[in-house]
Amino acid sequence: MCCHGLPVGGSPSSPGCFVPLIQKTGGLLLTAERGGRMNVGTAHSEVNPNTRVMNSRGIWLSYVLAIGLLHVVLLSIPFGMYIFLHTVKGTPFETPDQGKARLLTHWEQMDYGVQFTASRKFLTITPIVLYFLTSFYTKYDQIHFILNTVSLMSVLIPKLPQLHGVRIFGINKY
Amino acid sequence: MATATEQWVLVEMVQALYEAPAYHLILEGILILWIIRLLFSKTYKLQERSDLTVKEKEELIEEWQPEPLVPPVPKDHPALNYNIVSGPPSHKIVVNGKECINFASFNFLGLLDNPRVKAAALASLKKYGVGTCGPRGFYGTFDVHLDLEDRLAKFMKTEEAIIYSYGFATIASAIPAYSKRGDIVFVDRAACFAIQKGLQASRSDIKLFKHNDMADLERLLKEQEIEDQKNPRKARVTRRFIVVEGLYMNTGTICPLPELVKLKYKYKARIFLEESLSFGVLGEHGRGVTEHYGINIDDIDLISANMENALASIGGFCCGRSFVIDHQRLSGQGYCFSASLPPLLAAAAIEALNIMEENPGIFAVLKEKCRQIHKALQGISGLKVVGESFSPAFHLQLEESTGSREQDVRLLQEIVDQCMNKNIALTQARYLEKEEKCLPPPSIRVVVTVEQTEEELVRAASTIKEVAQVVLL
Repeated sequence: MCCHGLPVGGSPSSPGCFVPLIQKTGGLLLTAERGGRMNVGTAHSEVNPNTRVMNSRGIWLSYVLAIGLLHVVLLSIPFGMYIFLHTVKGTPFETPDQGKARLLTHWEQMDYGVQFTASRKFLTITPIVLYFLTSFYTKYDQIHFILNTVSLMSVLIPKLPQLHGVRIFGINKY
Repeated sequence: MATATEQWVLVEMVQALYEAPAYHLILEGILILWIIRLLFSKTYKLQERSDLTVKEKEELIEEWQPEPLVPPVPKDHPALNYNIVSGPPSHKIVVNGKECINFASFNFLGLLDNPRVKAAALASLKKYGVGTCGPRGFYGTFDVHLDLEDRLAKFMKTEEAIIYSYGFATIASAIPAYSKRGDIVFVDRAACFAIQKGLQASRSDIKLFKHNDMADLERLLKEQEIEDQKNPRKARVTRRFIVVEGLYMNTGTICPLPELVKLKYKYKARIFLEESLSFGVLGEHGRGVTEHYGINIDDIDLISANMENALASIGGFCCGRSFVIDHQRLSGQGYCFSASLPPLLAAAAIEALNIMEENPGIFAVLKEKCRQIHKALQGISGLKVVGESFSPAFHLQLEESTGSREQDVRLLQEIVDQCMNKNIALTQARYLEKEEKCLPPPSIRVVVTVEQTEEELVRAASTIKEVAQVVLL
């Protein structure tokens, strides 16, 4: 998810490093401050950078662009996002918190478990908007409706705060 | 995605919107309401639940009485009555103006005052200056550091070694680099304070087993195995470690390494061996407990030792397989975030290693002296010797405790003071009593070095005997 920086005191490099030039989306969404970070690509004191990835400069725009691109190519976005946000656990780099996030998915790690932050709201609303668009394209066809609704629910329900840390039937627990 | 038969005409799609089925539109309406709710919901942390009402909080605040900033301390507290040493703590140590024979400093091989070591340190001081002013990753790596790591790895016959700049920080950084939350560490009850702090920093599950009791350790390992069989998926992500010391500082006993290696392979745990007291002491060439027992060094996953005892330098090192040691270069907190070892101390350590390699006979001499004084100190009424006969640092404990720890400490201090009057410098083993997990009983720690002559050993033994008889009537 982000490059594991080399030596200087051993701190991993900031997550904004792969979107250096794109400006973060302006007031397109109603939510309040988005924590604009000035220290892209420098050392920082963040214990688990995974929690701040979705807050970094340009990530929202790149997310929308990536979805737009892939949406044109295939309809596998909800499936792909589900894998990355709710299935894969832990971090791809060593963290100095002695493995606190080892059993947490990326969604649970975001913003250290604080619910309803700006990034979380953004990532919840985007699939809904996509759903509206898809329903529009498919002209409210019944089969498409069932498939789209199921995939929307599978992406929306794990994001509820009641399901923080819940593992149904012990799947994906360890 | 539209199939080949349907056409992507916007007009048709808008038409379809008007003819959309009711359930679909209702669902979309619910989703829009959900979006609005989301946009207006506040952020909150999940565990933020205060179970106290405002009134209860006020009550607690009223009740609270501040403790004094400086708590009342008895006048004979050891921190207030310390001895002043002038000059180096070598074989003859000058304490409070009186010259005594040093039976307290861990200068096992007498390298503290060795002229070759001092010359090497001076040459290094002239070349590099005093400090490195930086951690290893930030221009703090000098050629002497790499040299010392190389020499230590070759000496211990392992693939790689890593240097820390402070002995206590060595094992306290090494343990949390590998063992994290959710991992299990089986550690001896008599483990030293540095190991305890390392375990605390690692946030792992700690299971203590009775000192040197392999049956107890096996019981714990078996219990863990049963747990693992109940939950194999959890077991697959849990790492297991056994942490032991070669020669225990708190008891002077040796760990039963052959049985530990057998248990390691039976229950699939990794062994971390802390060799601070046994490095440069045990074994034919001073390689420590593994050489003493003739065990293949590759069976031990990590050996950690500090260079402040036999090697008469400062700092510590860990040695083992390359892929194990390499991990500490980014994850060892004491390695990455502390300034590196001053080059003059690294040069002194290299010279000390040279001396150790040139005269392998000193280890046998040291062993003989240990055995001698161990035998001479047997049979003192009131004091018992705790520790192996070949351990250069052993303890003298009271045979029967008086009941209160302060009283015991006071008695032993009396013995130490009277021995000091007779020019034998001894010390009590000191602990942070509130912080230790398993506080050992108070004791006098006697240290044997190569530099002590036979007469001095005999004199020391007889002095301790006399003093003990007087004090412990």
